[in-house]
Amino acid sequence: MSAVRGTSVGGDGTAGSDAATAIPTVVVPPAAVESQHGLGASLLPADAAAKTQGVFPYAADLWAEGLLWAAVLRSPHPHARIVSIDTTHAAEMPGVRAVITHTDVPGDAMHGRRVADRPVFAHDVVRHHGEPIAAVAADHPDTARLAAAAIIVEYEVLEPVTDPEKAFEAPPLHPDGNLIRHIPLRFGDPSAAGEVVVEGVYRVGRQDPAPIGAEAGLAVPRPDGGVELYVASTDPHADRDMAAACFGLETDRVKVVVTGVPGAMADREDPGFQLPLGLLALKTGHPVKLVATREESFLGHAHRHPALLRYRHHADAEGRLVKVEAQLLLDAGAYADASSDALAAAVAFAAGPYVVPHVFVEGWAVRTNNPPSGHVRGEGAMQVCAAYEGQMDKLAAKLGLDPAELRMRNVMATGDLLPTGQTVTCPAPVAELLGAVRDAELPPLPSAEDEAEWLLPGGPEGAGEPGAVRRGVGYALGMVHMLGAEGHDEVSTATVRVQGGTATVICSAVETGQGFATLARQIVQEVLGVEEVAVLPADTDQPPAGPSARGRHTWVSGGAVERAAKMVRTQLLQPLAAKFGMSVELLTIADGKITSYDGVLSTTVAETLQGKELWATAQCRPHPTEKLDETGQGDAFVGLAFAAIRAVVDVDIELGTVRVVDMAVAQDVGRVLNPRQVAARIEAGVTQGVGMALMEDLRTGRGAVKRPSLTGYALPTALDAPPVRIVKLVEERDVVAPFGAKAVSAVPVVVSPAAVAAAVRAATGRPVGRLPIRPQTAVARQG
Amino acid sequence: MLPASLDEAVAALAAMPTAVPVAGGTDLMAAVNSGLLRPAGLVGLGRISEIRGWQYADGHALLGAGLTHARMGRPDFAALIPALAAAARAAGPPQIRNAGTLGGNIASAAPTGDALPVLAALEASVVLTGPNGSREVPVSHLLTGMDPLRPGELLAFVRAPLLHAPQVFLKATARTGPGRAMASVALVLDPARRGVRCAVGAVAPMPLRPLEAEQWVASLIDWDGARTLDPRVCTAFGDYVAMACIPDPVGDPADPAGQDAGALPPAVAHLRRTVAALARRALGRALS
Ligand SMILES: Cc1cc2nc3c(=O)[nH]c(=O)nc-3n(C[C@H](O)[C@H](O)[C@H](O)COP(=O)(O)OP(=O)(O)OC[C@H]3O[C@@H](n4cnc5c(N)ncnc54)[C@H](O)[C@@H]3O)c2cc1C
Repeated sequence: MSAVRGTSVGGDGTAGSDAATAIPTVVVPPAAVESQHGLGASLLPADAAAKTQGVFPYAADLWAEGLLWAAVLRSPHPHARIVSIDTTHAAEMPGVRAVITHTDVPGDAMHGRRVADRPVFAHDVVRHHGEPIAAVAADHPDTARLAAAAIIVEYEVLEPVTDPEKAFEAPPLHPDGNLIRHIPLRFGDPSAAGEVVVEGVYRVGRQDPAPIGAEAGLAVPRPDGGVELYVASTDPHADRDMAAACFGLETDRVKVVVTGVPGAMADREDPGFQLPLGLLALKTGHPVKLVATREESFLGHAHRHPALLRYRHHADAEGRLVKVEAQLLLDAGAYADASSDALAAAVAFAAGPYVVPHVFVEGWAVRTNNPPSGHVRGEGAMQVCAAYEGQMDKLAAKLGLDPAELRMRNVMATGDLLPTGQTVTCPAPVAELLGAVRDAELPPLPSAEDEAEWLLPGGPEGAGEPGAVRRGVGYALGMVHMLGAEGHDEVSTATVRVQGGTATVICSAVETGQGFATLARQIVQEVLGVEEVAVLPADTDQPPAGPSARGRHTWVSGGAVERAAKMVRTQLLQPLAAKFGMSVELLTIADGKITSYDGVLSTTVAETLQGKELWATAQCRPHPTEKLDETGQGDAFVGLAFAAIRAVVDVDIELGTVRVVDMAVAQDVGRVLNPRQVAARIEAGVTQGVGMALMEDLRTGRGAVKRPSLTGYALPTALDAPPVRIVKLVEERDVVAPFGAKAVSAVPVVVSPAAVAAAVRAATGRPVGRLPIRPQTAVARQG
Repeated sequence: MLPASLDEAVAALAAMPTAVPVAGGTDLMAAVNSGLLRPAGLVGLGRISEIRGWQYADGHALLGAGLTHARMGRPDFAALIPALAAAARAAGPPQIRNAGTLGGNIASAAPTGDALPVLAALEASVVLTGPNGSREVPVSHLLTGMDPLRPGELLAFVRAPLLHAPQVFLKATARTGPGRAMASVALVLDPARRGVRCAVGAVAPMPLRPLEAEQWVASLIDWDGARTLDPRVCTAFGDYVAMACIPDPVGDPADPAGQDAGALPPAVAHLRRTVAALARRALGRALS
């Protein structure tokens, strides 16, 4: 099925469709003057042509002389004790070169992104369906799979803990216990009360990042006893450190080389296959390759945290918020992974981008035997957005106020406080964003003449009937934080080299499709006036740049590239400036030419270089943050980004089918560095959010994943993806961010589901409290 | 193996009984790729031109099993058997419709097979060809397992009546893009026999026929006149069909309290409402 997912190409992401009316379109306000390069230009990614022509190499395309194929044996049970593992049959099969289990892990047996609580291979207990137990290397992929299946594991099946509410009382699933983190946030006066009170319960399902390319990798042993991992890592240094620790090697013996990344929604890679790959290569002395099946991909990687959210909002008679009380429960799955980060975001943003004098939140992330949860764009922030916006709709209904008006009375602005006690110092143009979507033109209703052309909910060949279709309009506001929070060292390092007429950027920030490589080219073009800029592929021989997540690289790696480029600029211009007795600031570089302010001096970059090579390396490290304390207080975030979205939906109120007709987006972007890329990121984010709103939910039965396939797990197709209209990009520069730019990818993911839910509420009159919205809740109230 | 005629294909299967026939491969290859099936050999049916079209035979159409969904969706076919054309247009994304076939849809016999309720409503039959010649079996017998496909046999043709009257196929899915049916309804009018025939797909392992509801509504239609019905009759028909296909749970005699008897779980209740709405809409469209 054709799935639309923001991958790498900054195009309009349309998949094959036979209904021309449904092709998603992105409407961008025209830029005043658009130059061809430098900041503000719609530069195309350098690899766009290769990607669209299908010749761009991904990890699954890699090859090495004499390579073996790996297969991983995964647990069929979500919770079981392993009584015994017998690998003799498997090891004796012809073509099998190695079979490894937990006894073959020479280094640390446990790993994890924040807490090392996860075994490389399960040995005493398995804690989730699909947990790795053993791995095989063989001379053919089928042999490897058959051998993995021939490993005899005797299980004593245990009762799985699948209800996060029961995790508190359940026997510990792990030596670390079942409570991964608890944040009680106290802000204001607990006895404060409002005249109007609304309560609600909200549930968010399990969204899978469903990258368009499943996990794949190649491990190549090195003569020095080390190993090189060719994987689509989004955080190569962290992956290297984790691998080296498990392999029992010094970090300089393990190199992670980043291959083309076929889609990433935050942490892309599943260590459950990276680590076995490396171990097998070390054990056999041969290169070993693995290409995960779609099923393994669904079982192995991290998902969005399912959430159960209980809310009580107090407001005064005018609709001004007085107090928000919330209980937030995130299902972490079997291991901690990034759950504490997701919980911090959920708790801090529990009340949304509104001014609330009194906020009391209890947040928990708990361990269960459900599929593992981790970083997925907008983690924590998305789940609570669906809930606090549901509450705002309830409050508006109770007060008889227009939902947009109620929100307008409460929006936050720069200088206001978050419930964590942190002052919002960055631009927070929430009122302007809301105004922009509220005032945007509504899409027309179909008229009698074009009713036949009307794409009804259920699709062109569906059962929709115009008479049963109701249109609904809904609003949502939301926010995310940018960069890592709570004291993570968010540093990045970049090197810029200029030789002849070309510049090269060396930085291990991974281009995941978010557009970092394109942005790096634009920055260097801007600073050095050199048109030809190459960005080298990332590997761990370069200094670390940190993960590709939360829009970090626009900020920290973009900032590092800019600094390095400026240092090169100074090196280049200093001799000239000295010669002509003027300061460097009086010289400008554009289109490969250097000119002085008065036009007296004019030369070219190439001439000035005289064959020399100039290098500079710089770091960017934003101001430090602090961990939330025992009452949820602290300056935990570097920066925030906001968006307002108005969703228009058509609902067949008998069948409960929903079609998103239009998404109007207004977003706080700081500064548009590449208009085409910004539009593509917003469209991708909205599409992912619409998927969460209407269909994406990885179903489990007693902890086991049901139908882990792209037929079982529905993604938005071109017919489901709505037209995305960017009605306003607010460019209020964030003075602490390099270039003043804010991250753009995550906030539309966070806000879209809430907007769609609000619109379905408006169309059906029903309290939509669950994402994805099921057809049975989108039908008109039964009389 | 790519035989060019039905006889060659039957011979190829007889020569290698462990081989499996493959038409469009849209179901079969998914099973092979995921390792569920490891056929010893494949007999490709794609080159057999005699089953890729259709012919007429005494008021019936003899449809080749190799007709693709894409071919059946075209207007010339829609003029013959409108409901089957509608089902074909609704069966998956274009890539699947270009390759997937009528025969494959029947042989796979998935509960969500879109052609199946249409064939059930048409009371079509299938022509099966094997080493011992051909035989004809009603589709319903094949699908219920009363008379299954025998080893070495191929589905060659589908015999479907040409009714020259309105037909409707409606499918409810969970999204706007292509998806499997949550429920589907095929409804055909048979003026010659003064009959309304209806089949409900996807709610049970095979299509269900609400025979009483069919007879009841057929008796209310003025077949020689305007063939219209009061909308309330259409609504009642929808409810009748839905109750027949998704009956109330029988109270558990061992459970004396029995409070929950008769209360459907919300998802099932929604499915019943969906069937009712589809049947009502289908009848309304067939009579408009
Ligand atoms: C993404 C996707 C979406 C889909 N959506 C739909 C949908 O919405 N509705 C729907 O109904 N189906 C859908 N399908 C299922 C499938 O496409 C259809 O059932 C199709 O009609 C199968 O035909 P085929 O020719 O591809 O069968 P194949 O895969 O070639 O064969 C299927 C089975 O039938 C047997 N077979 C095939 N032809 C014959 C014959 N002539 N005689 C005897 N045995 C035979 C094969 O041995 C095999 O067991 C979808 C499939 C996919 C992958």
